[in-house]
Amino acid sequence: MTSKSSVCAKIEPDLIATASGEAVRSAVQRVQAHLAQCATCRNDYEHYRAIETVVDDLRATLQPAESDEARRRLIARLSDLRSRLVHYRVAPSPLGPILIAMTEHGVSLVEYLGRGGAASSRLFRQAGVDAVEGGDELDRLHRELHEFINGRRTRLDWSLDLRSARSDFQRQVMEATVAVPYGAVASYAGIARELGRPAAVRAVAQALRHNPLPIVVPCHRIIGSTGQLVGYAGNRVALKERLLGVEGVPLNVRAASIERSAMYHYDPNPHREYCLPTCGGIVKRPLAQVRLFAHREQATAAGLTPCADCRPDLHPLPR
Amino acid sequence: MGEIAEVPTETGFDAIVTVHHGEIYRYLKRLTFRIGEAEDLSQETFFRAYRAWAALPPDANVRAWLFKIATNVFRNHARGERRRLIAHATVQAGSREADPVGPESAAVAGELQALTEATIQRLPVKQRMAFTLRKLHDLDYELIGQSLDCSAETARAHVFQALRKIRTSLDGHALPRTESTR
Repeated sequence: MTSKSSVCAKIEPDLIATASGEAVRSAVQRVQAHLAQCATCRNDYEHYRAIETVVDDLRATLQPAESDEARRRLIARLSDLRSRLVHYRVAPSPLGPILIAMTEHGVSLVEYLGRGGAASSRLFRQAGVDAVEGGDELDRLHRELHEFINGRRTRLDWSLDLRSARSDFQRQVMEATVAVPYGAVASYAGIARELGRPAAVRAVAQALRHNPLPIVVPCHRIIGSTGQLVGYAGNRVALKERLLGVEGVPLNVRAASIERSAMYHYDPNPHREYCLPTCGGIVKRPLAQVRLFAHREQATAAGLTPCADCRPDLHPLPR
Repeated sequence: MGEIAEVPTETGFDAIVTVHHGEIYRYLKRLTFRIGEAEDLSQETFFRAYRAWAALPPDANVRAWLFKIATNVFRNHARGERRRLIAHATVQAGSREADPVGPESAAVAGELQALTEATIQRLPVKQRMAFTLRKLHDLDYELIGQSLDCSAETARAHVFQALRKIRTSLDGHALPRTESTR
């Protein structure tokens, strides 16, 4: 192969572009003029054109059946990844840093983080979980949670993924707890009774102790039979107090208990009526048998009507 | 309120797989040597894509994004396989029956194709990627640049270098008659 003249070397990029059909008109004209007088470049040009033909043939040689097979196998493996994939994000909150995690089924974990930060999350101790940070949806969830904690939102209508529940019983307890509305309070014994297992009070408390979705599954609304707040997220009773306070539940902070006498009472009755605590000695009934509401509006929102005898609508509790 | 709609849903990512898997697979097939390698790498590409998908801006060019992931997956893979690749680089076109089911082999009809294919396989990896993305996947230089983490101009230079090398390898060989050859 002979070495090229500087003219040929200079025009080569245009020559390649022309052969590839990518050159602008002026470059094509320059190349054509040069080719008319340079046999070496004419030969090169023909080679470049031949390469384009070969490339066209290569492009046409597709074997869709082979990649279809590969795609089918990919989709099968992707569905496995999907079932394991969890997106998470940590954000500061008035209650300390909180991690929210979600799968494609819904929110699977809300966790108060300790000093260890995200690395200490139980997310990374679960077998078969593929955790990835990020996802815009999580920002929105954190925003809503923040509003909730600051009392600017009363509902968190999130899709929940309860697959990580330790047992069917825990799942049932969580579902019963979700049904306790904003500003209301029930007891562990009351939940046990509701689930038809009145003796399983400790089991209910254990199930909520390991609640993977605090706040959204409002285990802070479930208290001891004496009215004491008892445990929360390990030993974070102060958080329970704070969340109940945000919802307007009257508290005796010193005794770490609710002020039952300052709350509306509902004992399941056919008329679905709620009462003042002074109505017919209802305040003496075991907590397991009643549900309490901080505000009349919350009782109304739960589908209850004022008692025809004590008329809580006419004599609201002082606030 | 509270409706969870933007997590990876089946329709969303399934659509991406349906539309793009074929070409990503073929791209990787062209970059790799061994049977099954392209399938492993395209799986890895889509796994990575799925994990990153939730954070992908809605206006992103999904195609360029997937080619970029595939390129990175291949590069990482190639790094581990470098010695093997160097060994392969000395292998001539005639010994490519080592991969009997590849579309490449099926395409090798004439001497010219064999030579071109062999030269493509011997190209430095960036040139091979740029050439493949341009000539076989019709990506424009801007998108090739995005996929290879370089400028459009550099991408163009890679493709031109590749073409120059292929042309040189054809020197002295008879050309079939094409519409442009006289």
